[in-house]
Amino acid sequence: MFNSSLKLAASVGIAAMLLGASAVSAKTLVYCSEGSPESFTPALNGTGTSFDADRPVFDKLTAFERGGTNVVPGLATSWDVTDGGKTLTFHLRKGVKFHSGVNGFKPTREFNADDVLFSFNRQWKPDHPYFKVSGGKYDYFNDMDMPALLDTIEKTDDYTVVMKLKEPNMPILANLAMDFASIHSAEYADYLMKTGKPEQFDQIPVGTGPFIFVTYQKDAMIRFKKNADYFGEKALVDDLVFAITPDPTARLAKLKAGECHFAIAPRPADLEEIKKDKSLSLISQSGLNVSYWAFNTEKPPFDKKEVRQAFNMAIDHEAIIKEVFLGSGTAAKNLIPPTLWSYNDKVSAYPYDPEKAKALLAAAGVTTPIDIDLWYLPVQRPYNPNGKRMAEMMQADLAKIGVNAKLVTYEWGEYRKRMQKGEHLTGQLGWTGDNGDPDNFFFLRGCAASKGGQNVTKWCNKEFDDRLNKAKSVSDIAERTKLYEEMQVIEHDEAPDMKIAHSIVFEALRAEVTGYKQSPFGSHEFQGVDVK
Amino acid sequence: MIKFILRRLLLTIPTFVALMFVTFIAIRLVPGDPIEVRTGEHGISPERLAYFRHELGLDQPVWKQFIDYVWHLLHGDFGVSLSSNEKVLTEFLTLFPATLELSIAGILFAVVLGVPAGVFAAVKRGSWFDHTLMGAAVAGFSMPIFWWGLLLIMLVSEGWHLTPVSGRIDMINFYFEPTTGFMLIDSLLSDQKGAFLSALHHLVLPMIVLGTVPLAVIARMTRSSMLEVLSEDYVRTARAKGLSEFRVISLHALRNALIPVVTVVGLQVGGLLAGAVLTETIFSWPGVGKWLIDSIGRRDYPALQGGILLISSLVIIVNLLVDLLYGAINPRIRHG
Repeated sequence: MFNSSLKLAASVGIAAMLLGASAVSAKTLVYCSEGSPESFTPALNGTGTSFDADRPVFDKLTAFERGGTNVVPGLATSWDVTDGGKTLTFHLRKGVKFHSGVNGFKPTREFNADDVLFSFNRQWKPDHPYFKVSGGKYDYFNDMDMPALLDTIEKTDDYTVVMKLKEPNMPILANLAMDFASIHSAEYADYLMKTGKPEQFDQIPVGTGPFIFVTYQKDAMIRFKKNADYFGEKALVDDLVFAITPDPTARLAKLKAGECHFAIAPRPADLEEIKKDKSLSLISQSGLNVSYWAFNTEKPPFDKKEVRQAFNMAIDHEAIIKEVFLGSGTAAKNLIPPTLWSYNDKVSAYPYDPEKAKALLAAAGVTTPIDIDLWYLPVQRPYNPNGKRMAEMMQADLAKIGVNAKLVTYEWGEYRKRMQKGEHLTGQLGWTGDNGDPDNFFFLRGCAASKGGQNVTKWCNKEFDDRLNKAKSVSDIAERTKLYEEMQVIEHDEAPDMKIAHSIVFEALRAEVTGYKQSPFGSHEFQGVDVK
Repeated sequence: MIKFILRRLLLTIPTFVALMFVTFIAIRLVPGDPIEVRTGEHGISPERLAYFRHELGLDQPVWKQFIDYVWHLLHGDFGVSLSSNEKVLTEFLTLFPATLELSIAGILFAVVLGVPAGVFAAVKRGSWFDHTLMGAAVAGFSMPIFWWGLLLIMLVSEGWHLTPVSGRIDMINFYFEPTTGFMLIDSLLSDQKGAFLSALHHLVLPMIVLGTVPLAVIARMTRSSMLEVLSEDYVRTARAKGLSEFRVISLHALRNALIPVVTVVGLQVGGLLAGAVLTETIFSWPGVGKWLIDSIGRRDYPALQGGILLISSLVIIVNLLVDLLYGAINPRIRHG
C-alpha cells in the first residue's frame, strides 16, 4: 500500500519477463554502489552515481571506447565533418530496437532520427513539451555550452541527422558521447504524454542500451536485465543489481562476504587489506581531474613569471600527496592527467627547491617577507580531499621562503564566484574532466575563460590561446595532439598556477569477476563483464 | 477519555507550529542554496540561477515562503523533493516501512530482553548477575552506535559468517516487488522459498545495533523500579498471604514497576529514530533516517521540512499512546 504507483507500473510492465520467476537467475552481477540516482534521465543528473545508474539503459550517438577516452561510433555508425568543421552529418545505425515491455510500453518502430531530435530538443528548446518535465534542469547540456555551440539540428531522412554549429568545434564529438547526450525513445515520450504520466519518463527509463531497466527501490537497489537484442558489446550476465550501500566499510565487508562482486570507492585505509585478500582484486588509475593552486596573474607580484615559478618551487609536493591524499593521489605536472591523449610526458615538474625559489623571488625584485592570501577549498572535491590541511602545509612551506600566507575561504558557491571575478591573489581550485577531450581541460587557461570565467589565473597568453582555438577546429587527431603538447610546454614555463595532483581512483572487485575495464572517467560499465 | 485525547491533541498544535517554523528557518540558515549546492566546478550562470530560484519560489521573501508552505501543508501538500522530483509524502511513505520495521524489531528486542533482565537483576540484587548486567547496561548505554554496528559486522558477518553484512534481503537469490514495504511481510507474500528467512536473517544485526541503547536503558529502569516496588508494603502483604514468589513478582510487583518503564519506552522512540539514522547508513537500510541526512546535504528543503514534520508527528502520537497505556497498566491513573 505504501508502494509508489511508479514501481507498480514498472512491475506490471515487466511482468512477462519475471512471471513465475522466483528470479533465481543463472548469473547475477551485484555492484555495491554508493547512493541512489537523482533520476533515470542522464540529462537531468549531475553526479557520477546517477550516471552509473542510468548508463546501462542508454546509448549515445558517439561513444567512449570502453576503458578509454577515444570517441568511437555509437548509435551513429559514422559522421562527416564539412563546412570547415561547422557541419556534422551523422549516419544512424539501422535495426536498433528500444527496450520492449518496460512500464507497459511496446515500441512499434526501431530507433531513428526522431529519437535524436527529441533527445536534444528536450534539453534545448524551452517550448518543447518535455522541457519542463521533472524540473527542467539540464545542467550538463548548459555546462558544455551546447546552446552556444548549436545552430540547428535537423534530420534529412530517418537515418541522417545534420548538426550545424555556430563555429567549428571538434570536441563536440566527445560531448555527444557524454551521458547527458543519451538517446531516448520519442515514441515512449509520446506514449507517456498520452497516458498523462510524463514524469515517469525520467523514473522508468526506456533506451537501447545493453541492459533493460527492471525496478528501482530507493536507497535499496536497482535491478536490470540483459538486453539480448543489443547491437553492441553484449551483457554476459543475466541480471545486473546495484546494491545501494553508502558506507564504505560495509561495502568492503559485503564484497568480502560475496554479497557483491564489485565495490566503488574503497577507503584509503582499507587498500592494504584488499591487496592482501586473495579473493579480491584492487585496480586503480588516475582520475580524470586535476587540483591546482591558481595565481592571479593580473595582480602583483604574480604578474611576473619568475615569481610564479618561484612559488612552484616553494611547495613540497610529495609531502602533500602523502599527508593529504594518503596515497590516493599522484603529483601533477600538467593540467591534463596522464590517461588523457596528448599528455606531454616530456614536461618536467618543478623541483622542490626553497633556496632557488628565494633566489628567483629576489631576482624578480620581490623583497621578503611579503604577505599574500591563500584561498582554500571549503569542500571536499574528487581532486582535493582536504583543502584546509593542504593550505596549512603550503602555508608552512611558504614561511620558509619569507612569504606569510593568510588562509581565506568562503562557502563553496561564493568561493567559486569570487575566484571567477578574480578577487583572490592565490587560491586552490581544480577540475574534473567531462568529455575526455583535452580542450575540456585547456580551456581553463584560455583567454575567453579569463574574463570572469573558469580561468581563475586570469592568464591570457596569445601563443597558448591561438593553439587552443586552432585545436578546436582541426579534426585530425595527430595535429591536435601536437598543438596540445606545445601548449603544455608554454603553460609549464609561464606557470600561471602550480599543479598539485590528480586523484587515484581505486576500485575493488571479487577475483571471479572478469572483463571489467576501469574507465578514466570514473564511470562504471558492466557490458562485457562476467562472473566466473 | 475522549476529552483527554482531544485535550492532548489540541496541545500538539503549538508544538507543530513551532516545529514547522524551526525546521523551515534552520535549513535556510545552512549556507548554500539547493541550486548552487548541486553545481560543481562549472558553476551556474546568474540567469539560470535566477530562473531556477524563481521556479522554486526561492526568490520570495522568507516569510512569504513560510506562509505558502503552511498553506500547502494545510491542504495536505508536503511539496515535491528537489532532488528526485517525487512527492515528499510518497517518498516518505515508500521509505518509512523500512524504518518502522527496524524500529519495531529494535524496541521488541530491547523490551523482550530488557524487562526480564531488569526483573531478574532486582530479584537477585547484589548477585554477580546483577553486577554484570548493570555493568553491561552502562557499556550499552554509552556505546557509539556507528562503532558498535561496524564492530558487529566485522565480528559476526565477516569473522564468523553468521549473518549477512547489510541490506534487507539476499539480492542474488530473491527478487519480488514490495507490496507493503515491510520486508518480513513482503517476503512471506512473495511465496519464494527461503525469502522470509533471508529477510529475518538480514534483520538480526541492525535490530541488535538499534536495540542496544534502549535495551540498556530499559534493563536499568526495570531494575530500579522493581527494587522500589519490592520494598512496598503490598508486596510484603502478598508474600505474607503465602502467594508464590512468581505470582508476587510477576503480578503484584512487575505490574506496578512497569509504569516508569513504559514511560522510558515511549521516550526511547524519539531516540530510536535518531539511532535509525546511523543504523540505516551502516546497514544500507533504505529508511527515512538516511533519506533525511541526504536531504540536508542536498539542501532539499521540502523533503527535510516534510520528513521532520512527519517523524515528529509520529513521536508525538507514540507519546500520546504511552500516556493512554498507563491507564491500561494501572487503573488508578485511568483518564476520566
